Amino acid sequence: MIEAQGLVKVYGGKPAVQDISFTVQPGKVTGFLGPNGAGKSTTMRMIMGLDAPTAGRVTVNGLPYARHKAPLRQVGALLDAKAVHTSRSAYHHLRAMAATHGIGRKRVHDVIELTGLGAVANKRVGGFSLGMGQRLGIAAALLGDPQTVILDEPVNGLDPEGVLWVRTLARSLAAEGRTVFLSSHLMSEMSQTADHLIVIGRGRIIADASVQEILDGRGRARTRVRTDSAEGANLLTGALAGPGVTIEAREAGLLEVSGIEPRAIAQAALEHRVLVCELTPLQASLEEAYLDLTRDEVEYHSGDLSGIHDDIAAGTAAAGK
Amino acid sequence: MSTSTVQNRPAGTPAVRPAAGSGVNFLRTLHAEWIKFTTLRSTWILLATTVVVMVGIGLLGGWGVGSGLEELAAEGQDPAAVGLDPQLLYMMTTGGIDFGQLIIGSLGVLLIASEYSTGMIRSTMTAVPDRLSPLFAKALVIALVAAVVGVVSSFATYFLMQPILAQYGQEFGLDVENLVPSMLLSGVYLALASLIALALGALMRNSAGGIVALVVLFLIVPMVLGFIQLDWIQDTLPYLPSNAGRQLLALQIADGDLTQLQGGLVMAAWSAVLLAAAAVVIKRRDV
Repeated sequence: MIEAQGLVKVYGGKPAVQDISFTVQPGKVTGFLGPNGAGKSTTMRMIMGLDAPTAGRVTVNGLPYARHKAPLRQVGALLDAKAVHTSRSAYHHLRAMAATHGIGRKRVHDVIELTGLGAVANKRVGGFSLGMGQRLGIAAALLGDPQTVILDEPVNGLDPEGVLWVRTLARSLAAEGRTVFLSSHLMSEMSQTADHLIVIGRGRIIADASVQEILDGRGRARTRVRTDSAEGANLLTGALAGPGVTIEAREAGLLEVSGIEPRAIAQAALEHRVLVCELTPLQASLEEAYLDLTRDEVEYHSGDLSGIHDDIAAGTAAAGK
Repeated sequence: MSTSTVQNRPAGTPAVRPAAGSGVNFLRTLHAEWIKFTTLRSTWILLATTVVVMVGIGLLGGWGVGSGLEELAAEGQDPAAVGLDPQLLYMMTTGGIDFGQLIIGSLGVLLIASEYSTGMIRSTMTAVPDRLSPLFAKALVIALVAAVVGVVSSFATYFLMQPILAQYGQEFGLDVENLVPSMLLSGVYLALASLIALALGALMRNSAGGIVALVVLFLIVPMVLGFIQLDWIQDTLPYLPSNAGRQLLALQIADGDLTQLQGGLVMAAWSAVLLAAAAVVIKRRDV
């Protein structure tokens, strides 16, 4: 469990995090989502006691991080894949980290196996790829078998297999009842991993809700339709127009249609002899919800989700006209 | 915060948690710092270089002074008349310390500054969030190692020097007054110098900056101030860390100079003040 209350961080007069409060619950994967520079890493560094908050407080499992007697057994964090001396081997790095808590060699070997670092464990970290660095950071985070796991951009630099591995790991850690707090600037990643989302933009929380709630708030699925000409697109737009249907012209010959099934679109195209060269159901609506949420953070001062949904709905309607 | 049933456990995750109640303490932090110290190749290179340079310079000095003394004796001259003194020969057992302090001092700077430059410091301070234990554990590690290096280098210089000096009939015994204490205190001198270096590394958070600060404090400041013929500056000179610490190695103390104990305490005060400043800065600044 992570609880932040009124956290503020100001760097040299510039606010990085502005009065944010949130709770990260155990037994779930909570995504911490926001564009680069939104304040995700700063918040995570404050959780881990590396940066002192300018105001407010944050506790992990009931205590400020630095007050824990065995912090690595409470919280494991990957804050930065490069928080390792480049001239030391991965094995020795983990051994030194483990030694601070009297964690034995057995556990060090276990996390090396778990993270798939076996083949490179005795190599200098300086020669690691970004992906291997991430795995080493995750290995270090898991050393103390902690109740709470914090991972800052864990899939950065990982290959598809690695991404899947992180996803499975995060889900299984949460299934064991642990608190899992995962940051990313990619909504697509979060949509497949997280149960709950905290969205941050310009240092403020702009949404704090379950993935399903945010999806519901975004509204209907859409279909991308590409025709071979602007004329065809116009013809099709006329044919599809009707109550509850919104059509956005993205570029010449390219439409985004919602409120009508792809099959019906194809049917209409056939009837009007419009050549359709692409018909794609757009699944990434969470990504769009995120873009809508972060497009103009200034409009949303609070985490009041219902208000945001109204705004999104209004925005969609306006775009459809 | 209940632990629900285990699902989808990735292969290799141990079901059993490590023994509870096993938290951070200073001994464990010290162990971790020792592992970190010994698992970098640069540590061994710098330690070996320190010993080789200290012994090498001592031997060269001993050879030069020893052969000079023999020539003068052959010509029937009094060495003291040309400024050559057997005391100078004895001092060569610790004659390499000027360079040795800079090399092991660099190791002291790197011990913490390289953690800042690589980002390792964030791992260190996350594992031991009181932040001061890692600093003091590092201090203990580098001070002990520097002390051993100092003593080993001095005795190695002494014993390797005797066969060279024997060719000139200038060999001397360990019973020379103050010689053994001087060789032992060379360890204390290097320990204090490396602590000052560690503190500079922590304050600068930068390897190059820390090493430059070390060279400035130990080499350039004493030299430049030595040129300035103002009384109050000349009065300050003996209290600079390297000048004060040098009294630890002295075989004879001139009237009016700091005694061995006073010199040692002045140098110890430098390291204590700089380490305290480093501790305050580490505690206050964001990592």
